Amino acid sequence: MSDLSAFMRFARSFQPGEMIFSEYEPGDSFYLIQSGRVRITKIVGDLEKNIDILQPPEIFGEMAILEGAPRSATAIAVDLVKVLEFNRANFELLMMGNPQIALRLLKLFAKRIYDQKRRFMILKLEDPQAKIADVFLMLDETQASGGGEASIGDGREFKVTVDDVAHWAGMSIGEVQTILGHFSNQRRVELYQDRVIVKNIMDFQRFVNSKRKKT
Amino acid sequence: MPKAVIYRANSVIYFQGDTADKIFVLQQGRIVMTSADIETGKEIREIIQMGEFFGVKSALGRYPREESVAVIQDASVLAFSVPEFEAFAGSNTRIIIKMLKVFSNQLRRVHKQVENLMEKPIAGGSENGLFHTGEYYLRNRMYSQARYIFGRYLTYYPTGKLADQATKYLQAAEAAFARHGDGKGPAPIAGPAFKDDPAGASAPPPPPNAAVRTPEAQPLSDVAKEYYNGVSLFSQEKFADALNAFKRIIVSDDPEYTGKAQFDAGRCLFALGQWDGSIKHFTGIVQTTPKHPDMADILFMMGSAWEKKGDAQRAKGFFGKVLSMSADDDSSARIKAKKALNALGGA
Repeated sequence: MSDLSAFMRFARSFQPGEMIFSEYEPGDSFYLIQSGRVRITKIVGDLEKNIDILQPPEIFGEMAILEGAPRSATAIAVDLVKVLEFNRANFELLMMGNPQIALRLLKLFAKRIYDQKRRFMILKLEDPQAKIADVFLMLDETQASGGGEASIGDGREFKVTVDDVAHWAGMSIGEVQTILGHFSNQRRVELYQDRVIVKNIMDFQRFVNSKRKKT
Repeated sequence: MPKAVIYRANSVIYFQGDTADKIFVLQQGRIVMTSADIETGKEIREIIQMGEFFGVKSALGRYPREESVAVIQDASVLAFSVPEFEAFAGSNTRIIIKMLKVFSNQLRRVHKQVENLMEKPIAGGSENGLFHTGEYYLRNRMYSQARYIFGRYLTYYPTGKLADQATKYLQAAEAAFARHGDGKGPAPIAGPAFKDDPAGASAPPPPPNAAVRTPEAQPLSDVAKEYYNGVSLFSQEKFADALNAFKRIIVSDDPEYTGKAQFDAGRCLFALGQWDGSIKHFTGIVQTTPKHPDMADILFMMGSAWEKKGDAQRAKGFFGKVLSMSADDDSSARIKAKKALNALGGA
């Protein structure tokens, strides 16, 4: 990891269990983990859902680069956590001297732009069935590049829950359950507790394409 | 090493939807990038400039190409694998910074587009969201988390419609934390807060009457309300009104808020340009509460007041004191004092 000793004045530490920021809080800084682990969580319904556990040298809170965007998740220190805290004003200073960090942030932004664009395209579909089918297409697009061990022919296995799908589709859990049940009756999907199998991803692709072209 | 590749006119470098693994830079020729606008579906055509990179996002983010790139006039491009690009960019930080700026603009735009589409994210927006998140932690006896969130709520929404409740919850969280510690004791609030929540919340059902009502809770909340009202007035630059609010708190002898209010009253005097008044007020704090948590800011404002009065010597003395306070106090007061001292020609 690059030499960050020049940035010690941005150093902050958090005790185990201490909250670094809460979801919905206005955010103006982002963090670079130097030591310890950080848990990223979200309250969904009435459950705290772990989204990720991050460790050095990962970056979090990077959406603070965007003006006025509230935090989309909560960050809590798991261990004694040491971070460097930056904001829009001083991040260029950090990046200039640390190309590896800049590169990491660049990759993170690339991923976020894609996530948001895809999310937009899903939300833009009017047909609720197409929205859900498109969530699986999106998951397939990212899964395919990450090894894609769960695909046989046009069949795909996704490690997602109804909650996850509802989140991406911007729909209620009940609505998603109904539509997935419908897909299941049509034998287009198989539903399990922790995963969903899409029998023919190309069938979903055609379905979504037909709905998208009409707009 | 990146490879130089020649493409003939009318050929295609990649199609939208292709799996991405290369990053390109145009060296010579003419190529055009075609994509569909995510909002309108309309075709967008962009001519790529000489020396411009393309295919960066999809290669770095490992997702399919979002655009097609076609050659208009015979072109020479350099093709990098991701590791080759990383090695190259690692020694050309300016290029990454430039890309970061472009990316963050794109991210900002698409973020807005998504937001516009999600017109009803949660009722009441971030304010309610923050409050409910705090409730979740309080209900599940994670007091320090709840304390953090309600504290933040009151900072951001001092006169918000849930401010009274947030003050009560903040105190309940503090009391429960002091008495029982995180994860222990009865939950200060019972049951799920949302009416439409599925049954079976994660917290065990607390015994009836479990709500923590600290004896001091009721009288405190009025003072707290007044205090946050003062903070809110200050933020609206209604300094005289804020000063009155803080003065009322100072005489309320509530130890938790009087110290804060004293400091804030001084800030008001300073903001009102009452240099002598603020110096006198702050001197009082320094004498009675030498360990005041906001001491660095107090000394900085005293220095600034002297400077405004034209007494550079005294001003320097106060700025110097700020800097001589413990070095790990990396506060904005310290940074400002340093600047002010430099502007006055050093210590």
